Amino acid sequence: MQPEFERFFDAVRGSRLAFPYCTACGRYHWYPMKRCPHCRSNDIEWRPVSGRGQLYSWTVVRHPFDPALAEALPYVVALVEFPDAPGIRLVSNLVDIDLDRLHIGMAVEPVYPDTASNEPVVRFRPITQG
Amino acid sequence: MIAIVGVGETAPTRRSEKDIRALTVEAALSALEDAGLAPSDVDGIVTDAGIMPTTVPHEWMAAQLGIDAHFSAALSYGGTGIVAAPLLAEMAIRQGLAEVVLFYFGVDWGSRPGGPYAFHHIYPAKMTFEKPYGFSGQPSYFALWARRYMHEYGLQEEDLGRIAVAQRENALRHGGGQVSTPLELPDYFNSRMISDPLRAADCCLITDGAGAYIMTSMERARDCRKKPVEVRGVGYASEPITGDDIFTQKSDLLRLPGVARATSQALRAADITLNDVDFAEIYDCFTISCLMQIEDLGFCGKGEAAAFIREKGISINGGLPVNTHGGFLSYSYRLGIEHVVEAVRQLRGEAGEAQLADPKLGIVTGLSVPDYGLLVLGA
Repeated sequence: MQPEFERFFDAVRGSRLAFPYCTACGRYHWYPMKRCPHCRSNDIEWRPVSGRGQLYSWTVVRHPFDPALAEALPYVVALVEFPDAPGIRLVSNLVDIDLDRLHIGMAVEPVYPDTASNEPVVRFRPITQG
Repeated sequence: MIAIVGVGETAPTRRSEKDIRALTVEAALSALEDAGLAPSDVDGIVTDAGIMPTTVPHEWMAAQLGIDAHFSAALSYGGTGIVAAPLLAEMAIRQGLAEVVLFYFGVDWGSRPGGPYAFHHIYPAKMTFEKPYGFSGQPSYFALWARRYMHEYGLQEEDLGRIAVAQRENALRHGGGQVSTPLELPDYFNSRMISDPLRAADCCLITDGAGAYIMTSMERARDCRKKPVEVRGVGYASEPITGDDIFTQKSDLLRLPGVARATSQALRAADITLNDVDFAEIYDCFTISCLMQIEDLGFCGKGEAAAFIREKGISINGGLPVNTHGGFLSYSYRLGIEHVVEAVRQLRGEAGEAQLADPKLGIVTGLSVPDYGLLVLGA
């Protein structure tokens, strides 16, 4: 793994989401780069975010592009934006979802792996009202 | 000014008995035969810089054909390299570094394990942050764009279907493509959903095959076998975003990178406007990317491509014939070499049943994000 990628997974293992933020120009960037792609600064820190986001786009994958995931079909790939980390869109899966209710702008929250799992993946589910 | 004086291609097929080097040599020899030139006449080689260097390198082709090359160069990868290669050939010819330049390209993604999907394994962030979520395979990338486009501009599934239908109509008239079954809108809607909203009919074919073209000065072109097709203008542009990021992070996700600059560069060089163009061979890896290019090129405003296609028509009989051979959707998917071959045949009047009425100017586009290329060819 690229060394600049690692902090993301450190955060997920701690049930948090964090993204690279440049303190020189005050902007987030994604995916992680060696230097800030907006201003070339080295002053990058990883800022935690709440994890609450909105669905920017989505697709229901129905073809086994990856044979290892053939049993999981169909699944939802989500592109999630975060109000507290503008400029970042995270690719993930949407779970606990009725496919007919999928819509752009839907409010979602992270589902972290349980602590026994060593798989650092973060998925999302709809935020239910109330 | 340079000209394309020879074109060649192998017969499009999903899986070939021949390997990629055999296919590419066959295409190069066929292009030379078409030009009335011998391999020994070639003194320059240009290809894309991403795919050919690892599969059919210049020095191997030179050794196989007996080419004593004075010039060897490569640009971008896949589609953009295929249409922008005349930029390099023109520089070499103008500077006296070469007289006759061979361009060749081939893919074996029909038979190579992993096919086109494996190509994206070169991107480290995609492998690290996307593959674990099952986001791999180009149809899923373009599906995210299509879904967002539907949301922003009110695109309907049948708008995408019209592109697939028009190109199938063109392919059936052409007759030389990989697909021979008719496709009407009801068939489109019955097509298997791959990664919604994209169906199988929205996705390009997968092909084993190759193509090639030969370039030389206009002066020398007059001695070749066929009527020269002039390279009127070439555009190449890239934007500062990586292949990792382009499908998900670009601030304006629905505008293709490089298109505006590559287009203005090529049209200015050719001293034409889009109104002068008789046909367009557009990099149609998916219906949605074909649609987005129609508006990003400037044939209509942003968000207006569906209405443009519906009202103007993009089949051979339409107001803007697009992909007169059927394109990647219905002819073959060799990343655009077939588009160059078809454009040259149209301008020579050699396009058979798919022939347009006396076309004078055509464009060919190449998309290999974040690069874009545009080639203007004239009869």
